[in-house]
Amino acid sequence: MALPALALESERALAERALEGDELAFRQLYRKHTPRLYQLLRRLLSGHDADAEDAVQDTWLKATERLGDFRWECAFGTWLCAIGVNVAREQMRRRSRRPEVEWPEGHEPPQAAPLERVDPMDLERAVAALPDGYRTVLVLHDVEGYTHEEIGAALGVAAGTSKSQLFWARQAVRASLGGRRKGIDA
Amino acid sequence: MSDPNDLSRGEQRAFDALPRETEPPPGLEDRTVALLRARGLLATPLRPVAAAPRRVNPMWLIGSIAAGLALFLSGTAVGQYLGARTATIAAAVGAGASYAERAEHVQQASSRYLEALASLNRGSDSADTATRLAATQAALSALGAAAEEVSRLAPDDPLAAAVMRGLADRAREGREAPTRTVVWY
Repeated sequence: MALPALALESERALAERALEGDELAFRQLYRKHTPRLYQLLRRLLSGHDADAEDAVQDTWLKATERLGDFRWECAFGTWLCAIGVNVAREQMRRRSRRPEVEWPEGHEPPQAAPLERVDPMDLERAVAALPDGYRTVLVLHDVEGYTHEEIGAALGVAAGTSKSQLFWARQAVRASLGGRRKGIDA
Repeated sequence: MSDPNDLSRGEQRAFDALPRETEPPPGLEDRTVALLRARGLLATPLRPVAAAPRRVNPMWLIGSIAAGLALFLSGTAVGQYLGARTATIAAAVGAGASYAERAEHVQQASSRYLEALASLNRGSDSADTATRLAATQAALSALGAAAEEVSRLAPDDPLAAAVMRGLADRAREGREAPTRTVVWY
């Protein structure tokens, strides 16, 4: 649908209009924020497009339901993505596409040194192959730039847990990329 | 002192190179809006929402012009056929037909008139301005002539009087006055 030229209307004003059921205002918010939300959800859900689309819909549904309670203490996009992260986690739990493997102590992935040359496509694949919990923390920290405190608050875990998960997530990614490189070099 | 688990420059570059945004698939926006409407979170529009503007495919444009031309030519042919047929019917009605037969004939002719108008309306998007104006003039001429005849049949009928008054006002404003001549184009 064609929208009128995007007026210099604040997100807050758009959100207030959307809250009153104004479809055009909602569509403006949707178009501004969905490209980032969709990419985040695709990455969290291992690149499964259909799951990401469901998650986008659920996220906007929840966000619209809770819009009246949003206090505007953070950016709208940040708030929306936080809802998206929880929607994605619910979906991971519900579908349990991949068993939640979190290497028990003593059986962690092999330690791997940082890599100097990494192909982004290989990196994307390695991230997608991580267990859900590790992937979530790694995406939020290393891709989205969240701090451990923010991740802890979003996921309802301690910041230390986030650090620990990130450590193992990076190790697993390096092991995967290193293995791939050895295969290529061989 | 750097943490051995910190990202190397190469790793950091690779993470930085990952896309942060991806255009969602087409249709997801409308599905999301429909979901929110179904949940009562967005108002249901009183009129249909306009479709998104589409890029015009040259082949589609050529096809549309060809279809428009075909529609115009077939309209002309149908017009000529109906004109000839009307003359035949008029002759038949005048030749000793009963009043009831003439009334029935009015009913049939008005049905055809309305069908023809509806057909014009359906095809108006594909017609150029001149063709649309000619079609409108033909429709108005027929309406004016019909109102004139009805006003003779029922001099006190307010509807016929209103139509004639409207057409007279239009003629006074400098537009072309309706005539009894039906324009076939």
